[in-house]
Amino acid sequence: MTLRGWLRRKRVSAKDRIQSFPARPLSNSLSENIAELQNIFTLTPDLVIRTFESSFVEGTAAIVYLTGLVDKNSINNNILRPLLKQQARGDAKILDRISVGEVTVAYDFATVEKEIFEGSCIMLVEGRNEAFVLETHGWPQRAIEEPQLEAALKGAHQGFVETAIQNIALIRRYLPNRELKIKEFLVGDRGATRVSVLYLRDVVHPEVLQEMEDRIKLIRIDTILNSGELAELIEDNPFSPFPQFMVTERPDSAASHILQGKIVVMVDRSPSVLVGPATFSAFFQSVDDYSTRWLVATFIRMLRGMAFLIATFLPAVYIALISFNYEVIPLDLILSVGESRERVPFPPLLEAMIMELTLEMLREAGVRLPAPIGQTVGIVGGIVIGQAVVQAGVVSNIMVIVVAFTAISSFIIPNSDMGAAVRLLRFLMMGLAALFGIVGIIVGLMGLIGHLIQLESLGVPYGSPLAPVRFSDWKDFFVRLPLWSMKDRPVSSRVIQSKRQGDNRPRGDGK
Amino acid sequence: MKRYAFNELTVFQYIFLIHGAQVGIGVLSMPRELAEVAGTDGWISIILGWALAVIASLLIISIMKRYPDKTINDLLTLFFGKWLGKACIVLIALYCAVAAVTVITHTAAIINSWILSRTPGYVVTIFLAIPCYMIIQGGLRVLGRYAELIFYMTLWMPVVLMTAMPHTKWLYLLPIVKEGLGPIVTGTKSTILSFLGFELAFFLYPFLQRKQYASLGIIVANTLSMLIFLHITLFSYTFFSPDEITQYTWPTLNLWKVIEYRFLERMDIIFLAFYLFYLSTTSFPYLYFTVFSTSQMMGTVDHRKHLAIFLLLIVLALWLYTPNFIDLKKLTELWSFGGIVFGYALPALAVVPIWLLRRPSEERKA
Repeated sequence: MTLRGWLRRKRVSAKDRIQSFPARPLSNSLSENIAELQNIFTLTPDLVIRTFESSFVEGTAAIVYLTGLVDKNSINNNILRPLLKQQARGDAKILDRISVGEVTVAYDFATVEKEIFEGSCIMLVEGRNEAFVLETHGWPQRAIEEPQLEAALKGAHQGFVETAIQNIALIRRYLPNRELKIKEFLVGDRGATRVSVLYLRDVVHPEVLQEMEDRIKLIRIDTILNSGELAELIEDNPFSPFPQFMVTERPDSAASHILQGKIVVMVDRSPSVLVGPATFSAFFQSVDDYSTRWLVATFIRMLRGMAFLIATFLPAVYIALISFNYEVIPLDLILSVGESRERVPFPPLLEAMIMELTLEMLREAGVRLPAPIGQTVGIVGGIVIGQAVVQAGVVSNIMVIVVAFTAISSFIIPNSDMGAAVRLLRFLMMGLAALFGIVGIIVGLMGLIGHLIQLESLGVPYGSPLAPVRFSDWKDFFVRLPLWSMKDRPVSSRVIQSKRQGDNRPRGDGK
Repeated sequence: MKRYAFNELTVFQYIFLIHGAQVGIGVLSMPRELAEVAGTDGWISIILGWALAVIASLLIISIMKRYPDKTINDLLTLFFGKWLGKACIVLIALYCAVAAVTVITHTAAIINSWILSRTPGYVVTIFLAIPCYMIIQGGLRVLGRYAELIFYMTLWMPVVLMTAMPHTKWLYLLPIVKEGLGPIVTGTKSTILSFLGFELAFFLYPFLQRKQYASLGIIVANTLSMLIFLHITLFSYTFFSPDEITQYTWPTLNLWKVIEYRFLERMDIIFLAFYLFYLSTTSFPYLYFTVFSTSQMMGTVDHRKHLAIFLLLIVLALWLYTPNFIDLKKLTELWSFGGIVFGYALPALAVVPIWLLRRPSEERKA
């Protein structure tokens, strides 16, 4: 792991560049404190320092905050108004007048600075070497919406937002249980990101949890903007095409994973959470599976499995059959294929590459465009792919069918990361098929299996329940058996408490 | 002391590792080889061969049972001392290497003659070596998972073969034992090679999680292999006439040729491509235990460097010299000979002294 060592070294040297200030204590004098704060926050036009006299404090006081990060109503109504009101003081202390929920006291500038950046309001009082940290944060926020990437037909229509506290609340709504534990870490030296690890303490295996914590603690980086960045820093095999953490924006899906004994990692400012340890099969499941009837859900599961195979292998099989092993196709069929390929000047590999790349470009072009233009791309692409290309004799009709089929299949896979992995694998398989025909595909499959069976996520086998085979988990794999038959949590997530439900089998009237 | 705890195998993995190692190149040519010697009574030889294999496997288990934490390599050093033990390990590594090379060269040769007739053998071997390295570098645990998965993945093959049922004529089998017992017993000799694979229990036993199932597991593995051999052989015998069958080098492949659908012909090509999985489960354990032995002998824990060198050597050898079918046959014979020594003679000879040796120490403990 020389490469990893090299990366680590770079990261440490990056840390050395960041200047860390020694924790200076606050002084007794208000003016000195304010001067120091102004010294720290140079070129900060959004910093507000308001000094005032109040009958509740001895002398002058000041509140300091970054406008925009705070809730102004809270500051006006709950802090300033009661303090500015002329009233007999009586026995009341300063804090008794302030109607803000969370109040802490800070004694040094480092804490004060950090708290100001997090949207707290700091109150300094003349003659006191302490600062009151009033929790008033109220930064710009998005309303809770349904996640676009993981729309559910029957599930809840709530999705995570960019604030970790709200996201935790969303999960707590599903799991009001004292065993739901949340561990917080600060990751990043320049912009400390709050990373929360959520799990059920009596279910999660301590070793898996420890592994996750250790990996998060080892990170030395400027800041983490997104949970995808975190995933890339803590995953097991950085060279694998497969996602090793499940990424979801759905609170119900996250809660269901926590109940299965998995760990959810939430990154503040990111609307998607990581779920680990992930298994290969989990990427082919969706929350809707559990809210539709189990026979239907089973059918859809199998459809997805088939879609995975088609999306990975169909163009490769086409290439192999057309250019290598045409003896496998019966004569009549090969004649009709040959007829449609008559005018096509390209070898099958090139033909397939052109079409697959066109399709990928269309997809990528459509993804980031606003909806009206996106539709135009779709129409233009549809005409180009569907008709013009065939009429011009650039590719054959059958190739168009193959490409359309693979495209539809790759969109059936519910997880977009896995879909992307499949698309990459498809090109690899196409290359192998062009080199060695069917043998190439089989050897490619062998390599794929070889990779999948040794991949691990947080030290838990990724291929489970397929390899190592765990038949007890097959209830929720290719098939989705009735919910009452899944009495235990999946073995694949390595839990210490496996009972999930009692005997709930409905028996109708004849009990 | 549990040195091999990290690589523990479940009972199923143990069964399928042995079963996978048994079903390999033998299946493709077995019906012909048996028909040449024993005529249409060859299938009885398979059952006899199975009985022999089961007896030998049980002997192996009874030896390994006395030293539950040791592989055959550890045992040899224990009994013969450092240097003689090392010499024995070299022999065992050589045996495994011969087995692995035989299977790999056979694989390349079959692919070459049946599907990719214009691709040079060494190119095919280079290509095969990539997944080989990917899987074996993960160690025995990954091999076990692989063997188990492949078994389930290839379950469709005997079922599809059943669709050729209407073409079979079971009268070909009659009369049973038409030429006396002599040919049947001679035929047993040629099934010995196909049943080789159970001797891997010498290595696998210490890795097994639940050792009480070791004997049962190895019997199940042998029986599974026997059923597959029997299935293929009976089908070939009833499908081809007794004279026709000896004309094909690989009657099993010709058998698949007749299965046709309106959208698919030449099932044999697809079958053979999938058969690569079976061949891989035969060669991988032998490859692994070759490099396992050599790296253990050199005192290194990491077997990957040895694996890379070994694979490179195989590719290099095939690049310099493409073996013809006579060479392949000689290699197979060499492997059979080694297998008879290592799989049958060694346990038969070793069981008595080990039984005598261990007894007193156990009594002293009690």
